[in-house]
Amino acid sequence: MLEIATVFDFTRDAVILVVGMTAVLASLGVILCSSPIYSALYLIGHMICLALLFLLYNAEFLAVVQIIVYAGAVMILFLFIIALLGGKKEIQENSFHRSMAFTFVFILLGELCLSATVGPTRQVHGEISAEMFGTAKAIGLELFSKHIIAFELASGLLLVAAVGVICLAKFSFAPLRRRVR
Amino acid sequence: MDAITEILNMTWDFIVLFSNENVPLIVGSVKAVVIAVGIMSVVPALVWLERRLMGRFQVRLGPNRVGPFGFGQPIADTIKLLFKESIIQTSADKFLFHLAPAVVVITAIVGFAVIPFGEPFQVFGQKIELWGANVNSGILFVFAISGMGIYGMVLAGLSSNNKYSLMGGLRSSAQMISYELTLGLSALSVIVLTGSLNLVDMVHAQESIPFIIIQPLAFLLFFIAGIAETNRAPFDLPEAEQELVAGFHTEYTGMKFAMFFMGEYINMVTMSALVTLLFLGGWNAYGLPLWPIVAFACKVAFLLCVFIWLRSTFPRIRYDRLMTFGWKVLLPLCLLNLMITGTVKVIWFP
Repeated sequence: MLEIATVFDFTRDAVILVVGMTAVLASLGVILCSSPIYSALYLIGHMICLALLFLLYNAEFLAVVQIIVYAGAVMILFLFIIALLGGKKEIQENSFHRSMAFTFVFILLGELCLSATVGPTRQVHGEISAEMFGTAKAIGLELFSKHIIAFELASGLLLVAAVGVICLAKFSFAPLRRRVR
Repeated sequence: MDAITEILNMTWDFIVLFSNENVPLIVGSVKAVVIAVGIMSVVPALVWLERRLMGRFQVRLGPNRVGPFGFGQPIADTIKLLFKESIIQTSADKFLFHLAPAVVVITAIVGFAVIPFGEPFQVFGQKIELWGANVNSGILFVFAISGMGIYGMVLAGLSSNNKYSLMGGLRSSAQMISYELTLGLSALSVIVLTGSLNLVDMVHAQESIPFIIIQPLAFLLFFIAGIAETNRAPFDLPEAEQELVAGFHTEYTGMKFAMFFMGEYINMVTMSALVTLLFLGGWNAYGLPLWPIVAFACKVAFLLCVFIWLRSTFPRIRYDRLMTFGWKVLLPLCLLNLMITGTVKVIWFP
């Protein structure tokens, strides 16, 4: 005889896993797609997945607000701008810089893995007391102890994104040619 | 042989256990199918109603040849649309071109899922509720899903690779974003009054008096914004036939073309139902000898007729005036109304 509660829990865990994996795939699609329209669509898909995750953890309001604000309002402006500028496919070429960047990223990731296996890690102790719940201090304690790796990775990601935007906006590697009269 | 019977027994055990423990799940699935099929079969009837009524408004007969009163016309139209060749132009983005109508229809049907249309009742000791899902933040859910519906139109405009389609898609996104604000803010004054985002709670709060009497301005603003959200005339700028050929669905043929209309008509029903729930007291009959569900259906049908009436009465307004009207007239009025409602609520009815 199967226990119905375990079946339910198992199904729920499976659904959460599948939705999470879809979210990761969608986010990979955002950065790997060559056409800006599809990138934006992958981002919308990613946000819907996040909303589903919120829903699965019983945060109904958060899920709906996630869809209204990010998937509904912000992304429609993205699509709007893409439509106005004309979404053209990028031409991908394998240049020296590309291979350099890939090598750098993989070496960095390898080093990260190595350091995680070599260095001793310590468990985080302590609970957040009831009166501190929701305060800035509690959020700080949570962020800088339990979720430090995710936090640092996110900050790194933001830095990379900022540098990337500056690169795309400012520099063109081929020098601009003046029109010859 | 034994192994097979054992497996069969286990499967049967599982099915019995599953159905015993998951009655709500089964009831929910049945309700989902009934609501989805029901709402989709309302569409042909609405098309018939619109054509007949438009005929009357314009002093002509409308469709009257197929069947009594032209009732067979929607069936004939559906068959024609199903058997038409589906043409996709070569320069279109195939995937997005197929995706766009599906997005429009799916979001329209999903949005209707949280609309309640009556009090719960008992059948075989099982409580049957007359709604697809009673979501705590029901009205926000409708807004979120209708916001997703914009993507269908934008994608249709983008993928068709046609300047009229693109213009229609751009117009629709700009228009829907602008009027969504008005829609949300005018609904907010009702939310302030009831103190709940739940649609059933809102209907219960109107048992003595409908909110249209307390909040006439909010009702007017919500209805205007609702017409703009469903892209109906006089706000049908995204598909203005005379200037944009047909807007975002210029390149669509056959059933894909019809799917956009299906989405539009389902959205119309959802919007009428929302207006009924928020302002007209939902299924409260106010002394009239009507079943709650009949009262609800009558109110929705009346509002649908008003939608059609408006279409045949008003000319389409110019695009810049549409934007000016949305941002400089409706939005300030909404904010003012919300401010007054909030102030009155805080001072006199804390």
